[in-house]
Formats: sequence, structure tokens, C-alpha cells
Amino acid sequence: MSVSQHGQMSDEKKDSVYRAFSPRRIGAITAITFTGLIRQKAFYVVLIFALILIGNSIFMARLSFQREFQMLKDISLGAISIFTSLLAIVATARLLSQDIEDRTIYTILAKPVPRFEYLTGKLAGVLLLLALSTLVMSAMFLAVLFLREQTLLNETLQQMAGAPREQIAEISRTLRGSAFNSNLVPGIAVIYLKACLLAALTLFVSTFASSNLFTIVVMTFVYFIGHLQATAREYWLQTSSGGWMTNTFLAFVAFFFPDLQLFNLVDDIVVGTAIPLALFNKTVLLGGSYTAIYLLLACAVFYGKEL
Amino acid sequence: MSETAVAVRGLTKIFNVPFRRERIVAVRDLNLTVEAGQVYGLLGPNGSGKSTTLKVILGLVSATRGSTEIFGRRSNEVASRNAVGFLPENPYFYKYLTGAETLRFYGKLCGLGGMRLKTGVGELLELVGLTSAANRRLAGYSKGMLQRIGLAQALVQDPKLLVLDEPTAGVDPAGSREIRDLLLNLKGRGITILLSSHLLSQVQEVCDRVGILARGVLVREGPLEKLTAIENQIELVLENAPDALMERIATLVRDSGARIVERRMPQTTLEKLFLEATREERQD
Repeated sequence: MSVSQHGQMSDEKKDSVYRAFSPRRIGAITAITFTGLIRQKAFYVVLIFALILIGNSIFMARLSFQREFQMLKDISLGAISIFTSLLAIVATARLLSQDIEDRTIYTILAKPVPRFEYLTGKLAGVLLLLALSTLVMSAMFLAVLFLREQTLLNETLQQMAGAPREQIAEISRTLRGSAFNSNLVPGIAVIYLKACLLAALTLFVSTFASSNLFTIVVMTFVYFIGHLQATAREYWLQTSSGGWMTNTFLAFVAFFFPDLQLFNLVDDIVVGTAIPLALFNKTVLLGGSYTAIYLLLACAVFYGKEL
Repeated sequence: MSETAVAVRGLTKIFNVPFRRERIVAVRDLNLTVEAGQVYGLLGPNGSGKSTTLKVILGLVSATRGSTEIFGRRSNEVASRNAVGFLPENPYFYKYLTGAETLRFYGKLCGLGGMRLKTGVGELLELVGLTSAANRRLAGYSKGMLQRIGLAQALVQDPKLLVLDEPTAGVDPAGSREIRDLLLNLKGRGITILLSSHLLSQVQEVCDRVGILARGVLVREGPLEKLTAIENQIELVLENAPDALMERIATLVRDSGARIVERRMPQTTLEKLFLEATREERQD
């Protein structure tokens, strides 16, 4: 690899080094993107805000333990959802434009790196950052939940000091059931999936955007329309005849403005409704498909981009 | 017969200005060949199409018409870049990486790994004189150091061709001299170099062949000595020549029908003067 004395390497040797697809190259770009993002102050600001919000939910008004756990979950999962979405958009919006502005992209794409590997590596770096943030926020949320559960359990046990053992056991079981249930993990997984989808869509927008600001503005609209479009669609279908033109238009809107309400399972988790496995699988498939399609679209646009 | 490193045939590049009907012709019907082992200088004022030409050769921009090849492979094939190292004008690398991490990153992009990458990074840092700064973040590098680490990343996969866009832009004379010495070193090792530059004196020192672009058109092209030579004149530099000898030479010239065009004391270059002065200052 060092500059050889003859300065020449046989074509056979060169050709043997190059592979049309290389996980190593993608891994190198992923690692560098993740390192760059993790060293940005904005990441810590967003994370600290989220942690403060989640942590603060421990000081909420004392209500019945069911209601208190519901509020704690509502606030914490809502915070995780909003902050991962925000991070997905803000972190991804500047990835391409920054590399183009700094001309770093020239040095990378002048190496034997296909453009789709570059974009895949960049997106994977953001997804890794989102996974880390989701983990940190979830850990904080679960710690707060556990702390409240233990405090309430102790208080309840003290209040019921003279009560029969079966009654205490029943109350303890109900309290524990209100705090932790099996829906929490799939619920958090779906929040992460929504952030992945938003990151992929932001990457796609940034391939033809003229600036970071444009990407962020477009994605803000997409975020709000995505959360409102289900209501609008229902209204539209109720008031119009539902011909092929309507369906085509709705499909178009659904493609570019994904129905983000489908990824909102927080309400189910808060009230303790079990998330059916079929619904979870369907949501994961939908989120994964949207993410993959947006990445492919980003690659298609980026392939013809003049740098 | 020597191998062709870069072949540009009938290249035209037109940029469409968005939201306007305007079209900018950056390069017009350019034909260019760089043979293996040559150092080729692409000269021209700002906006003459030098950088666009280099980008098309590297496959970063597509040609509107014509074709470009690197060692027989079309530029739009990603595999063609296996044989090329590129240093863009005023590059900014990832500032949060150290010099060694930067080279490891670019090495991995070229499919390198393990001991080969580790030892190679050390050798390259030594080659560009950055061994002592290997573990320092690029945010703390000077402009000259950034250019040298840029040169090192361009060399990371031992390329047969080096493409450099204004390699000494913004670098002080000492740093500029170091880069020029590096290029001469690489030239001695047989690496083909294609560079664009504004600094004509430097191009003259390292290039075998030059092409001059103006408004996207190649207006002059050929071996450097042939392009710069004044064919009906000869330069003679004498040392310790007495006045009597000078008189005799002048008489001989006059008698032969020739003409002394200019008589002057050779002067050092401003660059040499600067380097000597700053070296003395450093030694003091």
C-alpha cells in the first residue's frame, strides 16, 4: 500500500482489490459518520433535553398509581418519540451538504466507492446514533419507572401494614403490572423505526435540496402532514366518491408523506392495551419498507448528481 | 510503447443554470492524453475548465459529450478509481479525526486492512513528514499540513495516477516547496501525475508536458521545453568572466551577424530568497 519504488501495481492486483460491493467500505463510512455525529454538541443538547424531560416526570402530581404510571409513560415515550424524530431530521439534513461544502465528498467518491455505498454508510451512521439515543432515553425512562414503582410499592406496603397477605400480594401485582408490561419494548422499537424512516426520507430530500434549511423545512412539513394525513384521508374518503383519481392521489400523498400515526403506539402502551404481534410485525415491515425505498430513491437521485 | 494513463476524447461539458435558460459551456471539445509516468500540468485562469475536466476524469461529473478513460477504463466505472489518488483544491477532511485515523479511513475505502494498512499508514505519514503529528486531530493542522495529509490519503492505495487540483493553493512558500519536493519524489518513483495549478513557476519545475485551457478550450499543448523555448535564442551563463572576455564575446557576436538581446546578472527567485531568509531566522 505504500508508494512502491516502481510506483506501479499490476492491473491484475488492482482488479483483485476492487469489489463491486464491500461491507468494509460501508462499515468505514458508517463508523466515520457515527463518530462525527456523536462529537457534535447539538446531539448532547437534544439528548440532555430529552433526559431532563423524562427525569422530570418523576416529580409529577401524586395521583392514583395507575394514572401516575400512565402519565409517566405518556410523557416519557412522547419525549423519546419527539426527540428521536428531531435528531433523525437534524442529524441527517446536514450529512450530504456538509461533505459537499467541505469537498470531503470528492476525496471519498474519488476512491473506488460506489455512490450507493456512500449513502448507505451515511444512513447507517445516523441509524446507529438513533439506536444509541433511543437506548439512553429508554434506559432513563425505565430507571424512572422502576424508581417510581419501588417508591409507590414501599408507600403502599407501609399503608397496608395490617392487611391480609393475599391482599398485599394482589395490590403489589397490580402495581407492578401497571408499571412494566410487555408492550414497552415493542413500543420503543416502533418509535425507533419511525426515526429510521424519517432519517431515510431526510436523506432522500437532501439529495436534491439546495441547503440544510430547505431539507429541515420540508421535513418539518412532512412530519406534521404525516401525523395528520390519516385524519385528512378519512375525511376525504367520506366526502368524495372514491374513484381511481382519488385513490391515486391518496397513494401519492401516502408515499411522500408516510402515515406517521401508524407508528404511534404510545396510546396503546399507556392504557396497557396489548399490542398484537401481527400489528407489530406489520408496522415493522411498513417502517422497514419505507426506509429501504427512500434509501433507494436517494441513491437514484444521487447517482446522477453533479458534484 | 508507453501505456496511456489518461485519455480525454472530444470532451464537452455544459452546465444548465437552474430556473434559467442559461447554459454554461465549461469545457469544449477537449482532447488530451497523459502517458504513464508523465507529469502533466493543466494550466489556465479561474473558470477555464481545469477543475471540471479533472472531475469528469474522476467520474464525479458526467460528460455532456465525449469520453474519458483512466488506464483504459471508462471514468464512470467505479473500478477505474482503484488506480487513482485525488487531492481536491482546498480540501477539508473530517476535523475530528487524527492524521493516522484519516489515512486508515481512506485505506479502508480502498479495501485495505490489517497489518498492511497499519504499516502503510506509518510509511505514508513518514513520506509526507507528518509522523510527529500522526495522533493530532486535523483541526489543529496548518494549511500546509492539511495539504500533505491530503496528498497522503491520495496515495493510500498506491495509485498509478495522482490527480491534484491546485495542490499548493493557500500554502506558504515553505509548505509549497515541500509539496513540490514530494511531487518530484513521486515523479522519480514513476507515478503519473496530472495537476492543475496557477503557479506557473512550480508547474515549470515539475511538469514534463502542459496544456493551457482558456474558456474551456485547449489553446496550447505539448512538452514543456518545446512550448517555452525561444528557438532562435541561446542562453549562456558565465561565472567570473573578466571584462576583456566579455568584450571579445561581444565582438565575435557582432562579427558573426548575431545580436546580444540582453545582458544581465542572473537573479535568484523570490521564493529562494524567502526560504533562505526564513531558514536563517529559524536557525537564529
